[in-house]
Amino acid sequence: MVKALGWLAAASVAAGLVMALGVAPREVTQGNVQRIMYVHVPLILASYLAFVVLAVASLVYLVRRDEAADRVAHASGEVGVMFVGLGIATGSIWGKPTWGTWWTWDARLTSVAILFVMYLGYLLLRGTIEDRERAARYCAVLGIVAALDIPLVHFSVYWWRTLHQPPSLMKPGGFTGSSSILWPLLVNLIAFVLLYAYFVARRVRLLRAEAEAVA
Amino acid sequence: MPDNWGFVAAAYGLTAVALLIYWRRLAKKEREMEVFKRLTAPRP
Amino acid sequence: MSYARRALAVAWKDLAVERRSKETLNALVFFSLLLLFVFQFTLGGDRERLAAVLPGVLWLGFVLSALLALGRTFLVEREHDCWEGLLLAPGDKSAIYLGKLAGNLALMLVVEALVLGLFAVFFDIDLGRALPGLVVVVLLGTLGLAAVGTLFAAMTANVRARELLFPVLLLPVQVPVLLATVKATEALLLGEPLAAVGHWVKLLVAADVVYLAVSLLTFDVVLEG
Repeated sequence: MVKALGWLAAASVAAGLVMALGVAPREVTQGNVQRIMYVHVPLILASYLAFVVLAVASLVYLVRRDEAADRVAHASGEVGVMFVGLGIATGSIWGKPTWGTWWTWDARLTSVAILFVMYLGYLLLRGTIEDRERAARYCAVLGIVAALDIPLVHFSVYWWRTLHQPPSLMKPGGFTGSSSILWPLLVNLIAFVLLYAYFVARRVRLLRAEAEAVA
Repeated sequence: MPDNWGFVAAAYGLTAVALLIYWRRLAKKEREMEVFKRLTAPRP
Repeated sequence: MSYARRALAVAWKDLAVERRSKETLNALVFFSLLLLFVFQFTLGGDRERLAAVLPGVLWLGFVLSALLALGRTFLVEREHDCWEGLLLAPGDKSAIYLGKLAGNLALMLVVEALVLGLFAVFFDIDLGRALPGLVVVVLLGTLGLAAVGTLFAAMTANVRARELLFPVLLLPVQVPVLLATVKATEALLLGEPLAAVGHWVKLLVAADVVYLAVSLLTFDVVLEG
C-alpha cells in the first residue's frame, strides 16, 4: 500500500520534472529562473497541508487519546518542516537573480519564516521528551496553539507591511493565469502532495513499529 | 534577462538532495527495525 | 476550596515567596538597567535614531525580562520536589494556571513600570500624553506574553534543555503580540491617539482571548504528568 503510494509519487515527480524543465515555456520577463517556482510553490503549499493535518491530528489526539493520531501529527510535522524549509530555500535561490536579494522582509516571507521556526520548535519539543505519552500530549497542545496563532501571525505581519507604508515594489512571482504555466504548476503540486502523503505514510508505519517494539 | 540556469540547478538540486536524504533515513531506520524485530522475536 | 480561592492561593504563595527572596525581581530590574545602559552607550548621542528604535528596545527589554520571569514560574516546584504535588492537586487544575498567571503578571507589570519610568527619565522622554494609551498596550501585551508563557513554562518545566527550549517555543508564537505592541508603542510615543492604533489594540485583545482560552482548556492536559 505504502509502496504503491511511493511509486505513484515517484511517477508524478518525474512527470512534474518533465513539465517544469521541458514542457513549460521560458518565461518572458524572468527567463528560465522562473522554473524554480515549479518546486517552490508546491513545497510551500504542501507544507501548509502538512500543518493543517498536524493541527487536526493534534486535536483528535487530545480528544480521543488515539496514538495513531499522534503518529500522524509527528510525521506530518517532520515532513512539513522539511518542505517549508526547502520552500524558503528555493524561494531565496529564486529571489537572488530576480529581486537581487536573498531575503526581504515582505509579508509573505516573514510569515513563512515564522511558521518554519514555530514548527521547528514543535519537532524540538518532540525530540526532547523521552516519555512517549507525555510527548504526545505536550506536542498536541503546542500543535493547537501554533495553529490558532497562524491567523494572528498573518494579520499582524500583513498590517505591519502594508499600513502606513508604500506597497512593496517587488511582486512575488505570481502568474497571470497563463495556462502554459498553470499545468506544469498543477502537476508539480500533485506530485509534492503525493510525496508528502507517501513520506507521512511511511513515517507513520515506522513510528507504529517502534511503538509496538517497546510495548 | 540572463538565464541563471545555475540557480535553477541549485534549487532543484537542493530539493532533490534533501528529499533523498530523508528517504534514505527512513529506509535505514526501517532496516534497523527489521533487525531489532528478528533479534527480539519470541523463540519458537 | 473554591476555584477562585485556589487560584488566589497559588498567586499569593508565589508572590509571598518572591517578596521574601526578591530573586527574580532583582534579576529583572538589573537586567533592564543593563539594557538601558547598553542602549545609551550605542545610541545615546544620536537623539533621532534613539527615538526611532526606542519602542523596539523597550519591548525587547520587556520580552527578555518576561523570559526570565516566566521561565522561573515553576522553579520553586521543581527545586523543592513539589511537582508531584501539583499533579495530584484535586479539582480543576486550571485554577493553578490562573494563580501562576496572576503572579507572573504582577511581577512583569511591576518590572515594566519600573523600566518604563527609568527609560523616560534617562532618555528624557515626555510620557505624559501617551501614558494612558501606553498603559493599555503594555497591559494587553504583557497579558499575551504571560498567558502563553505560563502554559509553555509548565510544558518545559521538567524537560531536558528547558532554558533553551522555553524561548524557542515562546518567541515565534508571540510575534503577533510583539509586532502589535511595538508598532502601537511607536505610534503612541509619536503623539498619536490610541484610536489611531485601534487595529493593533484589537489584534492584542483577540490574541489575549485566544491565548487565555487555549491555555485554560489545555493546562489540565499538561499537568496530567
